Amino acid sequence: MQNLDKILKIKNLEIGYPSKKDASNILFRDINLTGNSGELIALVGKNGIGKSTLLRNITGLQQAINGNILFFDKHKETYSRTEFARMVSFVSTEIVNINNLSVFDLVSLGRFPHTNWFGKLKSDDIIKSRLALEMVGMDSFARKNVNEISDGERQRVMVARTLAQDTKIIVLDEPTAFLDLPNKYEIVHLLNNLSKQENKTILFSTHDLNIAIQEADKIWLMLEDEIIEGAPEDLILNETFNKIFEKSSLSFDKVKGDFRMKRKHSEKIGLFGDGVHYTWTKKALERLNYSVEKENELIQHIKVEIKDNLHVWKLIEDGNIHEFYSIYDLSLYLKKYTK
Amino acid sequence: MLKKRTTYIWIILLVVLLILFVSDIILGSVQIPLKDVLKIIFTGQSDYPEYLTIIFRFRLPKAITALFAGFALSVSGLQMQTVFRNPLAGPFVLGISAGASLGVALLVMGISTFTVISQIGVVGNWTIVMAAWIGSGLILFLILAISARVKDIMTILILGIMFGSATAALVNILQYFSNESMLKAFIVWTMGSLGGVSLTQLKVLIPSVTVGLLITFMLTKILNAMLVGENYAKSMGLNIRVSRFLIFFSTSLLAGSITAFCGPIGFIGIAVPHIARIVFKTANHKSLLPGTMIIGGIVLLLSDIISQLPGHETTLPINSITALVGIPIVIWIIIRNQKLSSLS
Repeated sequence: MQNLDKILKIKNLEIGYPSKKDASNILFRDINLTGNSGELIALVGKNGIGKSTLLRNITGLQQAINGNILFFDKHKETYSRTEFARMVSFVSTEIVNINNLSVFDLVSLGRFPHTNWFGKLKSDDIIKSRLALEMVGMDSFARKNVNEISDGERQRVMVARTLAQDTKIIVLDEPTAFLDLPNKYEIVHLLNNLSKQENKTILFSTHDLNIAIQEADKIWLMLEDEIIEGAPEDLILNETFNKIFEKSSLSFDKVKGDFRMKRKHSEKIGLFGDGVHYTWTKKALERLNYSVEKENELIQHIKVEIKDNLHVWKLIEDGNIHEFYSIYDLSLYLKKYTK
Repeated sequence: MLKKRTTYIWIILLVVLLILFVSDIILGSVQIPLKDVLKIIFTGQSDYPEYLTIIFRFRLPKAITALFAGFALSVSGLQMQTVFRNPLAGPFVLGISAGASLGVALLVMGISTFTVISQIGVVGNWTIVMAAWIGSGLILFLILAISARVKDIMTILILGIMFGSATAALVNILQYFSNESMLKAFIVWTMGSLGGVSLTQLKVLIPSVTVGLLITFMLTKILNAMLVGENYAKSMGLNIRVSRFLIFFSTSLLAGSITAFCGPIGFIGIAVPHIARIVFKTANHKSLLPGTMIIGGIVLLLSDIISQLPGHETTLPINSITALVGIPIVIWIIIRNQKLSSLS
C-alpha cells in the first residue's frame, strides 16, 4: 500500500471571478479540502454553486482570488507549466469533435508535456498511448476518427488522453453529463478502478449522487456556504446529504441511499405482504400520497397474496373486497376512489 | 496500408507540383519549348536571347512567386482555422489584408489627393510594397497587443473582423475622394498580381516567406494541441500567450508579405487546408502542414497558368481565377463530405 500522503491540499481557498468594483463575484470562501493517492473523489453540489470554478482553480485554468492549493505539499506556483502538466490532467465539459482526428492522435496529444518541441512521439510515447487506450478498453478504436464514435466511447478516449499524460492527479468536469445510465456507471466505475490500480487521485464533479455514493472513496459536498468532505457513508450517517436540498422538496433516504420527494401523506393505508412485492406496492402507494402502515387491519388495507400462481392485490375497505392483478389497476382504482 | 497510401500521395503531389511549375514557365502568350526551358533553367544559356529575357525577367519570377504565395497563404489559412477552430477562417481574418490595403490606398490615393503629385509613376513598386507592409504590420501590432490581454480567442476573431471592416471603411472614404486614374491603380492592386514581382524583390519575398514557414513548422506540436481548444492545450502545459504570439506573427509575416507584393489574393487560404484534410484524411499537423503547403503551391500555379490564357496576349486578374478554381473544389468537398462545420 502506498503512503497516504496528502497529494492535494486546499487551504482557505476563495474562488470566483475577480472584479475591481465589488466583492460580490466571489462564489465561495474558506474552502478546505484534501485528496489522497488512490482515491476517487466526487465533487457534488447544486448547479451554479461553483463546482466548475473550483475544478478550474485546481487545474490552474483560473486564478484563485485568495488562499492556497498545495500539490505534494508545495504551492501550485512553484511548479513550472510543464511540471504542472505532468502532475495534473483535465477533462472539461467541452465535447471534442474534430473531423479527421484519429482516436490515437487525440490520446497521444496527452504526451504533450513529455515530448520535445516538435512533439515527436518516441516508442515510449507510443507504448504509453496504446496502453492508455487499453486501460479504458478502447484499443480497437485507435484508427477511428473521434467524430465517428459514441459519446460514451469519446469520454473513455478523453480519459485515455489523461492516462497518456501520465499524471498523478486527474480532474474531470462532469464526465457523466452526456451519457446514458449504463455508460454513466461504467465510466465512473472505470475511474474508480483506475484510481486503485494506478494509485492515482481522481477528482470528478457530478450530479449523479447515486453513482458517487456507490463508487467514490470521498465526497466533496458543496453546500450553500460550506464544503463538507467525507466518505459517502459518513455523510449518509450524519445526515449531511439532507442539507443539499433543504429548501427543495427532496429528502435523502438514509436506508436506501437515495433521494426521494418529500410527500405530504394525506390518508393512511394498511399493507400486508412480503418481499419485493411488498416493497414496490409500498412505493406505488406512497406515490399516490398514502401513508403506508405495515399490517394495520383497522383501516382500509391491501393484502398482496398469491392465487393460482398469480399475485393478486386485495383492497379491503369497510368490509368490501376488490381484487386487482396489477399495481397499475390497483392505482387506477385508488385514484378514482380518492377523487 | 495507411502509410503506403500517404507515400503515394506525396509522390503524386510533388510530381504534379513540378509539372505545373515547369508548365507555368512554358505556357504564356509566347510558347517556349520544353527543351529550351530546361536548358535555360539548368545552364542559364539559350540559342534564343529573347527566351532568356522572357524566362528570367518574367516567367521564372512569376512562377516562383506563385509557388511561394501558394505556400504562404494556404499555410497561414490552416493556422487560423486551427487557432480559431473555425472552418471559415483564413489568412485575412486578423485584418491583415485590410491593413495592407489601407496602406496602399493611403499611398496611391491619399498622396495624390493631398499633394501635388498625381503621377502613378512616382509611386514606385517598392513604395507600394512598403506601404502594404506597414499597413498590415500595424494591424498585426494591434492584434498582438489585444491577444496578450484578451483571454477568449473568439473575442480576438471578432475584433480582427471589426478592424478589417473599419479599415475597409477608411479605404472607401479614400476611394470616394480620389480621382479616376488613382482609383483604377488601387483597384488593379486589389485584384492581385503575381507578375509584378521582380527578381530583386524575390530576394526579400523568399526569405520573409521562408522564415514564416519555418516558424509555422516549429509550431506543429502547438497547433496540434490547439486543435482540442485552448483550455485543453493549457492543461497540457502550453503557454497560450507565447503560442498565440508566434502563430499570429508567422501568419502576418506570411500573409502580409504576399499581400504586400502581390495584392490580396483571396480564397486559397480558406480552400486549400480543406483539400489537404480530405486528401490526407488527418487533422494532425505533422502531415497537414506540409500537405497544405504543397497543395497550396499546386493550386496557385494552376490558377496562374489559367489566368494567363495560354496563347493569348491578355492575362486575367489572379484573384478572380483563384476564386473560380477554388469554389468548385470547395463545393464538391462540401457536397461529398457535408461535415464542413467540424472540419478544423
